[in-house]
Amino acid sequence: MSIEAPRAARPQTRPETLGEMLAARGVSRRAFLKYASYVGALLALPAETIPAFAEGLATARRQSVIWLSFQECTGCTESLTRSFSPTLENLIFDFISLDYHHTLQAASGEAAEDARKAAMAANKGKYIVVVDGSVSTRDGGLYSTIAGVANIDMLHETAKDALAVIAVGACAAFGGIPKARPNPTGAAAIDQLVTDRPVVNIPGCPPIPEAMAGALSYIVSFGKLPELDHLRRPKAFFGETIHDRCYRRPFYERGLFAEGFDDEGARKGYCLYKVGCKGPVTYNSCATLKWNGGVSFPIQSGHGCLGCSEPDFWDQGGFYRPLSTTLGDLGPALAGAALAGVALGAGAAYASRRHQAAYLKEPPLPAKTAASGGDRP
Amino acid sequence: MTQLAGFAGPVRNSGLAPPSDAPRPERTGMAQAVLSEIAARLALFAQTGAVAALELTAMPLTRADRAELADAVGHGEVEARIESAGRTEVFETAYSGVWWVRHFGEGDRIAAESVEIGEVPAILRSHRADIAAAARRLAEFCTRERDEDEGETP
Repeated sequence: MSIEAPRAARPQTRPETLGEMLAARGVSRRAFLKYASYVGALLALPAETIPAFAEGLATARRQSVIWLSFQECTGCTESLTRSFSPTLENLIFDFISLDYHHTLQAASGEAAEDARKAAMAANKGKYIVVVDGSVSTRDGGLYSTIAGVANIDMLHETAKDALAVIAVGACAAFGGIPKARPNPTGAAAIDQLVTDRPVVNIPGCPPIPEAMAGALSYIVSFGKLPELDHLRRPKAFFGETIHDRCYRRPFYERGLFAEGFDDEGARKGYCLYKVGCKGPVTYNSCATLKWNGGVSFPIQSGHGCLGCSEPDFWDQGGFYRPLSTTLGDLGPALAGAALAGVALGAGAAYASRRHQAAYLKEPPLPAKTAASGGDRP
Repeated sequence: MTQLAGFAGPVRNSGLAPPSDAPRPERTGMAQAVLSEIAARLALFAQTGAVAALELTAMPLTRADRAELADAVGHGEVEARIESAGRTEVFETAYSGVWWVRHFGEGDRIAAESVEIGEVPAILRSHRADIAAAARRLAEFCTRERDEDEGETP
């Protein structure tokens, strides 16, 4: 169950299902059922569908995955691959064949690029492209290249025959930090460039590993995309705000806030709204799934949510400024709600929708840099 | 950022434990709701043989709700431990046909938990594909043993 360095892909001579492949290594079907129960719970699938999910995984072929790393920091790869022991959670690496990942693969130079092309040829129309990092579109994309090929060209070439594209991390999903003002490289999100293949966004800086593994397993087993929201995020993981499920929310309801990071309120674990927590407008599962094997999440460690799974989180006016001061004309209403200690739910939801709508309305990319117009759906 | 004047000082709130004066998780009535569903599914199973499963992991049960539910169903005659992609624990509750299934993940954390209604929970059954593979393996083993024995006879 360890992660193997990607090898040059070769056409499969002996088609094998995952069930057969893992049985040869002593992994029984119980492991599939257990994995399906685990991911099914994450994806909020009805319990009755779990046996079908397990059967789907066991009879699927090993999924070819080509992982493209563009303008990124490798944090997303770290998030997915850092596990402490071979357990249930990293069975995902048995279900996929990571045919190209330029950080993890043993091959380098020409051999590495050959591996990508071989995997594309052997699995035409069936492979999944995972992208972390945004793509430079200014000046022909010359600000980020791999093997002399601009990221934008490699993306178009690789995504063309993909089953689906999964944009992991804030940078791939929404442009992230490379796109932050003044965006010197003309960084763009993947779904601005890939418009003719299905795109799933798993934002976050980094994204929650369960969300990445959950989306991948779902596609492998059912052969279709999980249900997505209007920003193409799987609803199972991005359906509720951090604030909705925060264990500190009862303090918010009672109007009890930390005013600084070392005051009495902070020591008592009060709500972090006034020290800049973006939980009320951030859709993600940190409050329930948590991090590092369920140990904690930022708010539990005493720091507000940065809002990293929302578009343009870097340019939202400061991590330590309360939402009421960064949301413009909505500020006083939200601040008033907070001071009174009543639920800000509707106001925050409106602010969040307005922010997301502004992001979706961004002008399309110039036609020459986008595959087919670059407009958002 | 005058409001953050204290930020330069040491951050003393570790926040690792739930705050001491946080509202204690209380019974929300969820346990009763789940129990009613279990009762209805068990009655249906007794009549028609229709198996069912209730996923508990994603349910908004507080610790008190979970304890209430566990107390209500109790512990029955059967207990099993499975080692497959980590540990899984299964026990039959005090009500025949109502099984509690708990899958553990990394760091002994509960990765998934469910209540299954049926004769035997699915995870305990041997899968036909595994049985077929085992039959082949055992047959090969017997053949090899026999061949070796024959090879040894002078």
